[in-house]
Amino acid sequence: MIDVRWRKVRRDLTQHRGRSLLLVLAMAVALLGAATILNTWTLVKRATEQGYRASLPVSATLTLTRVDAELLQQVRALPEVASARARRSVAANVQAGGRGRKAVIFVLDDFMPQGLARLMPHSGAWPPPEGALVIEKSSLEFSGAALGETLAVALPGGQATALPLVLRGVVRDVSLAPGWMENVVYAFATSATAQALGAPAGFDELQFRLRDAHASRAEVRRVTELVAALAQHHGQQVLRTDVPVPGEHVHAAQMNSLLLTQGAFALLALLVCGFLGVNLFNALLAGQAREIGVMKTLGARRRQLTGMYLSQALCLGAAASLLALPLAAWTGHAYADFKGELLNLPVQGYAIPWWAWLLQLAVGCGMPVLAAALPVARACRQSVGAVLRDIGIVAPGRALVLRRLWLPAGWARPMLLSLANAFRRRQRLLFTLLALATAGAVQLGAANLRGAVTASVDMIFNAQAYDVSLRLAQAGDAATLLRTAAAVPGVMAAEAWYGQRARLSATDGAVDEPFSVVGLPPTSTMAQPTVTAGRWLRADDGRALVVSRLLLRQQPALALGAEVDLVIDQRPSRWRVVGVVETGTQPLAYVPTAALQARAAQPEATSVMVTLTATSPALQIDTLQRLRAALQDAGLTVATSQRPAESRRVVEDHLQMVVDFLGAMAWLMLTIGAMALASTMGMAVLERTREIGVLRAIGASRRDIAALVQVEGLVIVVLAWMVSLPLSVLTSVVLGHAFGRVMFAVPLVLWPDAAAALRWLALALLISLLACAWPARRATRVPVVQALKFS
Amino acid sequence: MIDTDRNPLIRLRGVSKTFPVAGADFTALDGIDLDIARGEFVAVVGPSGSGKSTLLNLLAGIDPPSAGSITVDGRAVHAMSEAELCAWRGTGVGIVFQFFQLLPTLTALENVMLPMDFCARWPAREREPRALQLLQRLGVADQAHKFPAALSGGQQQRVAVARALANAPALVLADEPTGNLDSHNAQALLATLAALVHSEHITVVMVTHERAAMQQATRCVSLADGRVASTGQPRHD
Repeated sequence: MIDVRWRKVRRDLTQHRGRSLLLVLAMAVALLGAATILNTWTLVKRATEQGYRASLPVSATLTLTRVDAELLQQVRALPEVASARARRSVAANVQAGGRGRKAVIFVLDDFMPQGLARLMPHSGAWPPPEGALVIEKSSLEFSGAALGETLAVALPGGQATALPLVLRGVVRDVSLAPGWMENVVYAFATSATAQALGAPAGFDELQFRLRDAHASRAEVRRVTELVAALAQHHGQQVLRTDVPVPGEHVHAAQMNSLLLTQGAFALLALLVCGFLGVNLFNALLAGQAREIGVMKTLGARRRQLTGMYLSQALCLGAAASLLALPLAAWTGHAYADFKGELLNLPVQGYAIPWWAWLLQLAVGCGMPVLAAALPVARACRQSVGAVLRDIGIVAPGRALVLRRLWLPAGWARPMLLSLANAFRRRQRLLFTLLALATAGAVQLGAANLRGAVTASVDMIFNAQAYDVSLRLAQAGDAATLLRTAAAVPGVMAAEAWYGQRARLSATDGAVDEPFSVVGLPPTSTMAQPTVTAGRWLRADDGRALVVSRLLLRQQPALALGAEVDLVIDQRPSRWRVVGVVETGTQPLAYVPTAALQARAAQPEATSVMVTLTATSPALQIDTLQRLRAALQDAGLTVATSQRPAESRRVVEDHLQMVVDFLGAMAWLMLTIGAMALASTMGMAVLERTREIGVLRAIGASRRDIAALVQVEGLVIVVLAWMVSLPLSVLTSVVLGHAFGRVMFAVPLVLWPDAAAALRWLALALLISLLACAWPARRATRVPVVQALKFS
Repeated sequence: MIDTDRNPLIRLRGVSKTFPVAGADFTALDGIDLDIARGEFVAVVGPSGSGKSTLLNLLAGIDPPSAGSITVDGRAVHAMSEAELCAWRGTGVGIVFQFFQLLPTLTALENVMLPMDFCARWPAREREPRALQLLQRLGVADQAHKFPAALSGGQQQRVAVARALANAPALVLADEPTGNLDSHNAQALLATLAALVHSEHITVVMVTHERAAMQQATRCVSLADGRVASTGQPRHD
């Protein structure tokens, strides 16, 4: 038989079902947000551990002039190396569905590797048959072709006409960033197929995996140096080395930062929900004060009463958990699948770990108990005499002060009453304000971030003062390059740039990550990045270095004014950092071409930047084709070409997607804020039932009563709006830094523009009208006689 | 004036109670000395503001005295902590309020069982039969499964008395128990209280201003301006 106490708990919950439902819904929304993020994180983590790491990713890739079997054998024989393979990455253009796309075709010495970079066949043939392609899964949709269809493939500098290759299979390579994201079609082909396209025979990339799965990046670099020395001993030139963070997916850091930030906002939503819980329990216990007093006269101990009311909270938490957790499992899986698409990592098939379920349940059940703890303790501590004598709300409010400050003479008295009412329960008002203002501040912060990102993208692309860029397959003579480009009709101006890889020369034996240096002509007008510190390059500069902000963050030794030793083309030289510029996601440095070529082995150009007379995309593409052909005729093979306008759209889409992810948390919080307002107004109406009855008895119409409630709500949201404006400075900083960690640093926009602030005000007013609609309706429906009897 | 009973159930000595009102102290009770013997049915009477309800609240431990001592059944009520008071009230005192104060979300039967659940004086399986028995005795057993809102004032007050008796207390304190009842129900309730005193030797202290109620009592204590003005047998006009 159930103890009568628990029957009371159950019936109290159902008696105040509107209030209970509101709390359950608010908690469910907050819990849904937090649990979704947690589930996504656990699923992505599992997929990374069991999917990515299980694929035995490569520890390092060296680009050499040639990789022969003997070198490969010697690398495999190194005690530190578990496995090694040879690869060639062939840059190509593919055409399907009437559109051309950039492609990279990988040729491997072994398509069925066991000890290194395992590939996951998805459908169709594997390994790639002769004369056919197998596409990487994340590129399939982007390629515009389906399995069994034909792609026209051409290599820059290869055969004059494109070679039709049938798409025979789909394979997943989890080590690659998604092709759709990178705007590249990744595919695999046999060496013979690649050679048929015009690619050289043999391999030029050497990839290996260390035996020690927990080796640090420094350790990997040390072994990479050993392998590089071995290659040089074999007469091969090391063109490039690439050492990724060991065991970490290429996009893992960004993904973790994004999830961490979203998680932080989800916790904030839980906190706001906690405020709502405190409000609701305060109101519930205020209504139950006399009952608590009576129960004390019947012998109830404080411990028993506390148990009863905390059980109510626990029941509400359990209901919210029941509602939210299954939904959060579903949304978590869906969000994780989406993240998986961004990581190029299959997340399907993984289960949410038991500890995550338990944690969510503990938070779901524990949060309302925590929110109720203080109100319950306070209510149970009150003396019996005090509660039995209590005559209800006596706080007069602060309307008189407001009237003196703000309101002109002759303002309607009901308006003053609404103002006074808003301030009668000050703690409740404070919590409601906090809930709404926090939500608003996150909204404004997201709007600020959106503006900052757009401004940054503008700044980055405005710095690229050219219409097309063409990168050569191999460095070529700069004068020939410029002469050939200038002769193509439609070309307005051209600049020859020279790109190289450089790294800091370390004295302690450590090997630093290499970065790109771009050599610019002394009178360059096509590179105009925004200088954030120091100055831009001058015509008379010697070995001067202007670094990008991202590069500076990655390699703090390149601070403004620092004298650094760089190793370029294996030769050390001393440079001075004279400026810092903003280049967005690209870690690079600009130097005068003359200074770079004085040290480099090949004093030539690697790319040409061109401004065109045509402004329409179609005409620009046409000129680009002619430019490529002319350069080809001049013996300068173009590896890739790019129009900044096209890149801008892709970059902007990516960046705004991250902003949208962060902004989604603002909507979550706004939902909870609206619920907080609805509950506050609901409680206010309930507590003032008798007062409303008196107002009706002295002549207030239903419309007057509804207006009283609505105006009180509007007063609260306008106050919340005012609080949210300064609070948005904080959220703008947090969101800005979060975005900086996920993508790249954007200049912080701290104050919202007038349009964003007014949009949020309009939204807040709408929320108020909607949230107060039901309490206002209820207030007008109370019969006067019943209201006057209300206790 | 002091009752001369040698072993009183209730003993008050020099009991005063003051309340802060608008920056000054209002004295509700001023140096009360009073003894009440076991099995007495005492009516506390007096005009409004004389301190009747305050006296009852002090006896129940609902309010602490500002000065003096209150001993009930040998226990110093004035010195008890809140927790001790709760435990003591649960088993030693039954309280009947003017406005019944039944818990609205519990049925009549459950309202009577609730004190038994709090104090666990009876095993769980005996609580419901005992509650039904009490309701039967007060003539409202047929209303056992109804919620308070569905009961008349008289029925609610009978349920409240049954609840006050749930843990078989030695003392029942009633604050204007007939104040919200019609004369018929008021008479019936007073007769019930008198019968309890007679049959179970329970002590009843009842605050009232109704003449009919006074006449059921074995003794009348009259208060005026916070002091005992007189004490003696009620007049039967």
